[in-house]
Amino acid sequence: MERQNLGFTIFLYVCAALLALMILAPFAWLFIMSISSTNDLVSKPLRWWPVETDWSRYRILTDFTPNSHGAALMSALGNSIKIAAIATVAALMVSVPAGWAVSRTPAVGWSLWLVIGTYMLPPVALAVPLYMGLAGLGMLNTKIGLAIVYLTVLAPFTTWLLKSGFDPIPRDLEKAAAIDGARLDQMLRIIILPLAAPVIGTAALFAYLLAWDEFFYALLFTSDYRAKTVTVAIADLAGGRVADYGLIATAGVIAALPPVIFGLVMQRMLISGLTTGGVKG
Amino acid sequence: MSTLDLIGVSKSFGRTEVLKTIDISLASGEFLVLLGASGCGKSTIMNIIAGLLSPTSGEIRIDGKRINEVHPKNRDIAMVFQSYALYPNLTVERNIGFGLEMRGVPKTERQAAVLKVARILKIDGMLGRKPAELSGGQRQRVAIGRALVREPKIFLFDEPLSNLDAKLRMEMRAELKRLHRLLGTTVVYVTHDQIEAMTLATRIAVMRDGRIDQIGTPEEIYDRPATAFVAEFVGAPPMNMINAILDANGLRLEESGQRVALTIGADAPREVILGLRPEDLHLADASEEHAIAATVDFAEPTGPTLIVFARHGGNPLVASLPPHLQIAPDSQIRLTFSRKNMHIFDRASGNRIQT
Ligand SMILES: Nc1ncnc2c1ncn2[C@@H]1O[C@H](COP(=O)(O)OP(=O)(O)OP(=O)(O)O)[C@@H](O)[C@H]1O
Ligand SMILES: [Mg+2]
Repeated sequence: MERQNLGFTIFLYVCAALLALMILAPFAWLFIMSISSTNDLVSKPLRWWPVETDWSRYRILTDFTPNSHGAALMSALGNSIKIAAIATVAALMVSVPAGWAVSRTPAVGWSLWLVIGTYMLPPVALAVPLYMGLAGLGMLNTKIGLAIVYLTVLAPFTTWLLKSGFDPIPRDLEKAAAIDGARLDQMLRIIILPLAAPVIGTAALFAYLLAWDEFFYALLFTSDYRAKTVTVAIADLAGGRVADYGLIATAGVIAALPPVIFGLVMQRMLISGLTTGGVKG
Repeated sequence: MSTLDLIGVSKSFGRTEVLKTIDISLASGEFLVLLGASGCGKSTIMNIIAGLLSPTSGEIRIDGKRINEVHPKNRDIAMVFQSYALYPNLTVERNIGFGLEMRGVPKTERQAAVLKVARILKIDGMLGRKPAELSGGQRQRVAIGRALVREPKIFLFDEPLSNLDAKLRMEMRAELKRLHRLLGTTVVYVTHDQIEAMTLATRIAVMRDGRIDQIGTPEEIYDRPATAFVAEFVGAPPMNMINAILDANGLRLEESGQRVALTIGADAPREVILGLRPEDLHLADASEEHAIAATVDFAEPTGPTLIVFARHGGNPLVASLPPHLQIAPDSQIRLTFSRKNMHIFDRASGNRIQT
């Protein structure tokens, strides 16, 4: 098509704008709440922009004095970063070989569907057995324990994602590498994994975000600063005598920063289109 | 320099039988061309020789040793894939040198070898590029380079020149021939191009539906095709196939009832096919008895020859005649041929009948 219909172009832009609005509006409101005074937040009618911006809560929450809100949030932030990272790395270590194997051996594809079928079970159903298992291993309220639980949630998802990422990589490349004398590890390291890098990056990003946002298991399996994650810490803020919505919003903004930074870093890996040009057609 | 033997090799994918008892025996330094229609199993044979597929039954031997269980990387075979199979994330230089790199050849030596091959293939100016930045023909030459840079026991080429323009194809063909003379490596080569097959091969195997119909020197294949299929498949334009009856007195053409006297005959009349190559047909003098009458549909000058499309009754008849003849559509012509250029096949089995 040489020229797109003007109406269609406008329609596309409107859709894109609506989508952006839907995604960004809650975050924008979160940010506005975090810098509004309590009065502005409870006044009726609602103020959409504070009379006077109030940044004090950011100071409160980045304060490391023991037993303060700030110390609790910061340690939870640290826990979350570590737990999500461990779970993500472990999930990739499991699912890169698994995804490749399933992609290259369609005959065992059913096993992946079986594993993904476990997603149909509600987390509540798994909570008790998982709790008893962790308790038996003495891993309740540990970062590793929670990371292992997350691994069971993440690995099926990342395996499935990576399998669909390996699928379009032509098998002739592996055959050519074999004839060229490459060992399995060389073939994977030099040819296949670089070609799958965009999907691996996507899988890492999604795994990290899923682990970061998880609340239910974290609430059940952690109890104090040693393993408590940021989602639970934010909930704790709401559980006090009087809920300070501004404070909760500020914690939300702070909690959103690490994944955003991670996402920006990963974005460089997500450039796709690297697989073109190798085979005919 | 190695011999290659395929002994009773067959291959099935599930219930579909793709190869049915293939027997090939190549002496060291032979150049075997596999010819056959699309889907007849040529690439499958290549993959089995390379070790990328295991045969359902049968044995593959290199230098007399069974290699069925040997991993592809230890077979010392270089292959040009029909799909090229270039590594998209590596530069042309690294693509070509990958086999050497994996075999631990030092870098400077590798670079020299890559450059040498790249010069031959006229891609030495593109060594720094990625495959995506090349044209189809350039990619194909990189794929050839990846095989040529090594000195394997056996080369497998799966339609290596299919994407090149006519001039380049001819140059590369000559280059491959020269290299084969120089290196003397055993080659198995798949092509759809008749000229490539005739000029490169020491032997040609014509395949049909997973079987080898005939294997022989280019001359044998062309002059004495073993089956009607081989006769029609090899040669361009293809051989004319005329239905006839073989009886005690020779041939009787079914369309016209015209007779061709033969020294051989059949006691009981037998349905056969008379095969005549277009290039073996000539315009007959009025006095010539031994000729087939035909009505011209049209004539196509191709440069060196004039291809005449005609009909003998309902049977299409194509003749390659000298250029500059004036042959008008709908005119009547008579085409003659020499007895030694007749090919006769049994109509039911398609097998050649010795004349
Ligand atoms: N993995 C497979 N599973 C099932 N059938 C297959 C498989 N690979 C090839 N075939 C079938 O085997 C037959 C031979 O395929 P092959 O690729 O060897 O043909 P070819 O002679 O190389 O054809 P072309 O000239 O088109 O390259 C085809 O009918 C194809 O459909
Ligand atoms: Mg093929």
